[in-house]
Amino acid sequence: MASNKMQQANQSQKLMIFVLTMALYGLATLFTELIPKFQVGIVEFSVEFFLFIPLTLAMLFDPMSAALGAATGELVFSEIMLGQFGGLGEIEKFVTVTIGVYVAGRLVADPKNRKLVGVAAFAGTALQLLLGTIVDILKVQFAIEDFEAVAGLPESVFFTEGFAFVNDLLFSGILFALLPTLFLVPRLHGKIEPLLGMAPRSEKISLGKLSAKAVLGCVIAFAVAIAAEFLAENGMAIIDWEADWAESGTAMAVAMLVAAIASVGVVLAMRTKGTKAAQKGV
Amino acid sequence: MKAVEKLSESIFDKLSIDFLRNQVLKNAYGNNDTVIAGLDPRILLVWYLFFGIVPWFVSDVTFLLGCFVLVAVTTLMAHVAGLILFLFGLGVFTQTGYLLIVTLLFGGDATAVAPLLVLTLKVATVSLASVTVFSGMDPDKLANGLMWYGCPERLSFSISYAYRMLPILMEEFQNILLSYRLRGNPPEHETLMGKIKYLIYQLKVIIHSFYPLMLNTAKRSRTTVEVLEIKGYRYAAINKDVKKIKLASLQVTNNDLLFLSLSFLWVAVTVLLSTLI
Amino acid sequence: MNAIEINNLTYCYPGCERPTLKNITVSIEKGDFLAIVGNNGCGKSTFCKTLNGLIPQFISGDFQGSVVACGLDTQEADVGTLARKVGYVYQDFENQIIRPTVLDDASYACLNYAMPDYVQRGMTALEQCGLSGKKDDFIWQLSGGQAHLLALAGALALGPDVLILDEPIAQLDPRHADTIYDLLREFNEKHGKTIIVIEHHTEYIADYCKHVMLLRDGELAWVLPAHEALTRVDELQASSIFPPQATIAAHRMKKLGALDEKTPLPITVEEGAQVFKLRENAPGPAKTESRASLLEAASFHDVQVSYRSVKGEPHVVFKNLNLTINKGDKVALIGSNGAGKSTLMKMMVGLLKPQKGDVKLGGESIRDVKPEALSRRISMVYQNPEDMFIKDSIGGDIAYAMEVRKVEGSAARTDELLERFRLTELRERDGRLLSGGQMRRASLAIGVALNPGILLLDEPTANLDIATRKEIMRTLEDMKDITETAVIATHDMQLVCEWAERIIVLCGGEVVADGTRDEIFGNADVIKKVGIRSPEIFSLGQAIDKDALCYTIDEFLERFEGRTNA
Repeated sequence: MASNKMQQANQSQKLMIFVLTMALYGLATLFTELIPKFQVGIVEFSVEFFLFIPLTLAMLFDPMSAALGAATGELVFSEIMLGQFGGLGEIEKFVTVTIGVYVAGRLVADPKNRKLVGVAAFAGTALQLLLGTIVDILKVQFAIEDFEAVAGLPESVFFTEGFAFVNDLLFSGILFALLPTLFLVPRLHGKIEPLLGMAPRSEKISLGKLSAKAVLGCVIAFAVAIAAEFLAENGMAIIDWEADWAESGTAMAVAMLVAAIASVGVVLAMRTKGTKAAQKGV
Repeated sequence: MKAVEKLSESIFDKLSIDFLRNQVLKNAYGNNDTVIAGLDPRILLVWYLFFGIVPWFVSDVTFLLGCFVLVAVTTLMAHVAGLILFLFGLGVFTQTGYLLIVTLLFGGDATAVAPLLVLTLKVATVSLASVTVFSGMDPDKLANGLMWYGCPERLSFSISYAYRMLPILMEEFQNILLSYRLRGNPPEHETLMGKIKYLIYQLKVIIHSFYPLMLNTAKRSRTTVEVLEIKGYRYAAINKDVKKIKLASLQVTNNDLLFLSLSFLWVAVTVLLSTLI
Repeated sequence: MNAIEINNLTYCYPGCERPTLKNITVSIEKGDFLAIVGNNGCGKSTFCKTLNGLIPQFISGDFQGSVVACGLDTQEADVGTLARKVGYVYQDFENQIIRPTVLDDASYACLNYAMPDYVQRGMTALEQCGLSGKKDDFIWQLSGGQAHLLALAGALALGPDVLILDEPIAQLDPRHADTIYDLLREFNEKHGKTIIVIEHHTEYIADYCKHVMLLRDGELAWVLPAHEALTRVDELQASSIFPPQATIAAHRMKKLGALDEKTPLPITVEEGAQVFKLRENAPGPAKTESRASLLEAASFHDVQVSYRSVKGEPHVVFKNLNLTINKGDKVALIGSNGAGKSTLMKMMVGLLKPQKGDVKLGGESIRDVKPEALSRRISMVYQNPEDMFIKDSIGGDIAYAMEVRKVEGSAARTDELLERFRLTELRERDGRLLSGGQMRRASLAIGVALNPGILLLDEPTANLDIATRKEIMRTLEDMKDITETAVIATHDMQLVCEWAERIIVLCGGEVVADGTRDEIFGNADVIKKVGIRSPEIFSLGQAIDKDALCYTIDEFLERFEGRTNA
């Protein structure tokens, strides 16, 4: 009974952290989504990362709840509420943010250790950016037919993506992750926990070392993210049916019919389901 | 360098938080009486699945143009806020437009540009489809629709909660920024150096303002989570009956079917055209 | 049968040294209307959270003894079952509203507990709370009073037998406060619900409650019928609770020997009118005079303001506002919610520019002046002090505006302000983690840091218990010397009467009255039109003698005495 109660309290605290991170990071990403991005020369500087918010919270509280809350917050506030939802491709962002924040949060055993906080913040951001860059390069490679054949394209993609990575890491990593986290964590430590009815994290009640299981989980999640990207944008590259398709109009019409019939089928299914439910209700 | 000036002006002045807040609220709450908002979320999601995925698979320009026109019309029907449309334009440019320029810089020629143009059209169509569905639909309805398709309960709760909290959070954030504005002393920003300093100052203020915001929000979420417990949130998450009752409010009407068949008709016409050309 | 039965309850929060509740044994009868009183931190809210099982099931800690609510042991029954028996309305009720629209929120709990008629239940609750016309509105469109009613409806929809409300009227204007209590009385009398309120507005306790329970440092002092409880003046005051003004007046009169010892103390205006009479040699009403000069501090010329609204036409706040505030004025700005008080203040500090017309400070238009450039001349203290704290210590917050302006001797001035507002010991603490009164004092210190000529205060006494409110009123009185011109927007009529030298009444975007307190409170038409609730002592004076204008108990005692045959 007693252990059961502890578990419940834990659940509620996790929900609190989830809600808190979601609201804060969601709000922040909503604003970044609204601020026009600008370019100098060829490279896009994006003040994209308010990542210090979930990083800070992940270092102070349960890292998994904070990581999931951050990813959900971004998805819900800036993608869905603003209609900027990018389909299945959003899974990529969801997973990279979750992994980056989670790993950073797990690295910090004691928020009072400033060095560790700094290293973790930087590492978390670097991880998130690196994963994003890998996905981005793969994405362009598959999205454009004959990627290798187009003169100058592969080089330009590698160059811009590489430059953007280094640039983002220096700007976002240092300016928007490292410094703010170093500023916020010591200030919030010991102040914010009582507001949520929790004991502050310390060496004694840290979460233990990052386990192999967690690492494996991250790798699998990332694989899923890459797969989702491909499904979202490059289904044809995997299945290779696109070429046959575009050549004949009739084939396309057939494909369309199939899609339309499928959706009509769903509609019909829904209607019968609705009437069945109504009958059951009577 | 112009860009630096522009950004520095825009964050606080032209694009004041108040303006942003108004646009976001308009987008989220101001268009719930349009035709699009009245449709069943499940139908719209199916519709989105088509226009969000199919364009990726097709390279036929006529077909893509046809889809683009359709989603442009539905976007207009959804009364999407101006700022969102502006962002859409910007988004399309930053996704592929800049690649276009870079490719040209690295010695690419017309053969490189053509696929990029098609890619741009694809991106635009898919983005507008998502703007129609996700901006045009009441987020709460969307949450129900997603739940019907079996999305995790936590996600649909998050959407509804965000929908409810957004104005309050924004107001709180705005108040804190106002405190900085009234008591702070931003650097003069007449010269270029001043403008850069001003930009840095603004960014610093925004980052610093998350310190009070975090504490204030923490205070709120404690009550919220306690109330969720009282109101049976955890109970509902594991109870199948609750889901059934919740989803019983969803209903497919003639309007929905009409919307689907009209979209279908338009696509069929486009396909016909593309085979003729 | 008893609604609540508590046996030897002792509770200690996790990580706390001392128990918050100590050995409480009490039973609350079904159909009671109970007020719980006690000073800050005496465990009132904690006590209430044990009644619906949140403690110990959701908030852990060391729990001893037993609590049985409506026949359910709160340690055994799950929170969901208890929620259907015991409804709870939080003090920060806006965080209690979870869904985006009104009807949705009211029926949310019923839906979660899988009640098929959840919409009907939500609707019924809304009707009972008088919100049925708002059912499709968004939460953020509601006023504070309506949001509170919605929180109540949400609790009510589950059909609980017991309703608990934590400081229900702390954030409401008087009209909404009356609405809430009238509703509660109806639930209590018509539907037989047991009502438990945490309340320190004793005039409401006198009007509505049946019993009063006093908690003292986590221990139960007593539970008494309301009349008897409120007349224990000394005991209540020792717990910093202020009995109704009629009671205090009579109590003091007894001490002065002007009232017969045997007369029972009155607790309401009606009872008071039976006890007191006009002195034969009563002095004529003292006229309040304004000390203001004729030099202009701020002025509005043909100002028109409207807000962008989310849907449809912009919302016009002021059509054609003309108003001058003079140097040395101590102005109270009153009027119901939405009358434009905050808008007026925002225009003065330059945060809001009027669409038409002009706002001038010291005769100079501020249309093209940035708000940060005005901050040495005018300063505003928000209603919510938490929004004023941007640093991690109040010392840092007070110094901030001076430091970024490189004001000379800012450290010395910070020390002086900390001393003046009795915050020296707290200077390293974060503002948000202070008590209500300390928070308010800190926000005032921040407001005057730059020594502005004009100080604007938005609701400086809202959300405070009476003792803290008195303390803030004293602070405001002290501050009269350091700020030349001050404007307070408030619903607190006690503050208006005791502090203001000039009262401006806003209604529907217009100035409907402007004058001294005698001119405003003596004008029954304005009082009625704007819905002002005069201080109790003023109403009491008027009930006995129509010409009486008493704003404080002292003034009352000078004019009235006890009836010999009462």
